[in-house]
Amino acid sequence: MSFYRSRNRGRGVNDVKGPSSALTQFLRDEGISAQEIRTRWEKQQAEKQESDFPNSVEHGVETSPHTEIRDLSDDNSSETDTDENTHKLRMIGSLGADSDEEEYDEEVVPKRRPEPVKTRNNQSDKKKTQKLLQNRRKRQKRAAELLDRRVELPTLQELCIEKIGSNISKWNDETDEQGKQVYTHIRTVLGGISTDNLNNLAKALCKNRALNDHTLQLFLKTDLSHLVFHDCSNVSFEGYKALAVFSPHLTEISLQMCGQLNNEALLYMAEKLPNLKSVKLDGPFLINEATWDQFFQSMSGRLTEFHISNTHRFTDSSLSSLLRHCGEQLVSLHFCRLDSISNYALIPQYLQNPQFHTLGIEYPYNEEDVSDMLVMQLLEQVGSHLRSLSLNGCLELTDNAVVNGLAIFLEGNDQLECLQLEELVNITSDSLLYFFKTIPLPRLSRCSLKRCTKLTDDAIVELLLNPAKDALEDLNLNSLINITRGTFEIMNCHNLKHLDASFVRCVDDHVVKTVGSQNPSLQLMEVFGDNLISSKAPIREGLTLIGRQSDSI
Amino acid sequence: MEGEDVKPTVTLVSSDNMEYSISKEVAMVSPTLRVMLEGPFKEKSGRVELPGIEGNVLAKVVDYLQYNLQYKFANKDQEDIPEFEIPTEMALELLLAADYLNV
Repeated sequence: MSFYRSRNRGRGVNDVKGPSSALTQFLRDEGISAQEIRTRWEKQQAEKQESDFPNSVEHGVETSPHTEIRDLSDDNSSETDTDENTHKLRMIGSLGADSDEEEYDEEVVPKRRPEPVKTRNNQSDKKKTQKLLQNRRKRQKRAAELLDRRVELPTLQELCIEKIGSNISKWNDETDEQGKQVYTHIRTVLGGISTDNLNNLAKALCKNRALNDHTLQLFLKTDLSHLVFHDCSNVSFEGYKALAVFSPHLTEISLQMCGQLNNEALLYMAEKLPNLKSVKLDGPFLINEATWDQFFQSMSGRLTEFHISNTHRFTDSSLSSLLRHCGEQLVSLHFCRLDSISNYALIPQYLQNPQFHTLGIEYPYNEEDVSDMLVMQLLEQVGSHLRSLSLNGCLELTDNAVVNGLAIFLEGNDQLECLQLEELVNITSDSLLYFFKTIPLPRLSRCSLKRCTKLTDDAIVELLLNPAKDALEDLNLNSLINITRGTFEIMNCHNLKHLDASFVRCVDDHVVKTVGSQNPSLQLMEVFGDNLISSKAPIREGLTLIGRQSDSI
Repeated sequence: MEGEDVKPTVTLVSSDNMEYSISKEVAMVSPTLRVMLEGPFKEKSGRVELPGIEGNVLAKVVDYLQYNLQYKFANKDQEDIPEFEIPTEMALELLLAADYLNV
């Protein structure tokens, strides 16, 4: 239920809408906390019970927003106020204003309002409540699973790793420094485990936000050749150095949210990991220009994959250094949200490797920096053998980039597996229609056209007629408000597993039925904001709908 | 367990010589066991020795194989799928076994 609450909050009072209403702001300014009010309310409920005052909350006494605000603002100054009537009025006012009350009306919720249940000794009522609670727990569990995108039965390995991960994090919180030697023991036991599962364990630890210098020890002295940490925020620079010393076989490393990675540690890794060839960093904002230069110099001749995002210290000169020292070997390059780079135009001339396969330029600080011309030049250089192209958030791109870039330089490329063109609001159907018509993409398994709001049926229909339809596994049509039911009716992709059709208004029960029956592998369909879908939508077995309005938790 | 059924059964033997008789259908949930049982190996006879797995762990593995077979195609919306409980102290060894059996 908490997922929906923020949306309702603020409704009814002065008609203020949005994430932070005037009331919320006011309460914050006055230092009034919900916790405090709740504590008082619970106390009040107990008192009320004693004085045998039945369910005053539901009498629906009207109070104006002004009364309520005045009442609440009095809270701090009248801590000693014991007048029951004032209390009552205050509580009625605050509950009326907060939409929590209407939510609770739908079901009996003893957790927040335990008193009425306790007073009733009726056995059948108790049973009913228990059943309700059980159902609610079930739905919450189901929702949590969906949020984790877990639609299939978990494997025993996943279950074990989840268990180990949560225990390590729990134990990590509880024990003191001396006790942490045990990691060495755990690692000895894990010695016989496959490196895949070690990476799965890393994933589980990161998810629990439990990866730190201590838990990092699990991954030392191993034969790991590639390592992915999704959340390194608690790993200090010492941790990275230890990793470099004790896992010398690492060739590929991906450190997301690596805010504590400093100059020394980065250079140390470059020095101590002789086989390192792939580096993917998110948020390395401590690394300065000089260090980047030094790093690229020492990685010269071996760095083949470099992905970087979310740092303002990676500048044009760092980019130039990267390209000068490593440009010739690079096969994969990805830039995302780099606020100090404007000279993207430098890139094309350096990408000489005929094996180059992955290119991503996303969310440039100045949209003009990534122009149609640049995309054309880049694709001219590397287009014929690209496997993945991502141009999300390059808002300046127009049809020109598609017609004279993609449609020309991807010709003959039958390798493309991933195409992401999110939020390209200037691109119209005409150009994409032409592209999908002229270029067969037999291996395209992942395609995202999210929020390309000008697209209409033509472009998507053409995609669904392209040989890509047999390879597509993941298709994102989020917010394509102009497409109609006709498009979904011809959607016939037997490998499609995940479809995001959120905020596509035409999607209704009939579309859900058609899509489900025509795409036998489809497991997950996202339908947020598609309000034509009712609770009666016929959903094929094995298909899960996420975001339907009628599904409440 | 359907050991006495007419269905073909398979015997799993742990490192401490504990034997677990399960139906072939249950054993086939594990890709590793499937290859062993279908390939040209001596395990084809229906007796699989697993010297890397201890008896109590193997018992849990067997539980999981049955759990998986039972609920794999269950409709989550209609049927209540119970959690598969794993004792904390067994988690590491069970992970190794699960890793080996690829389940």
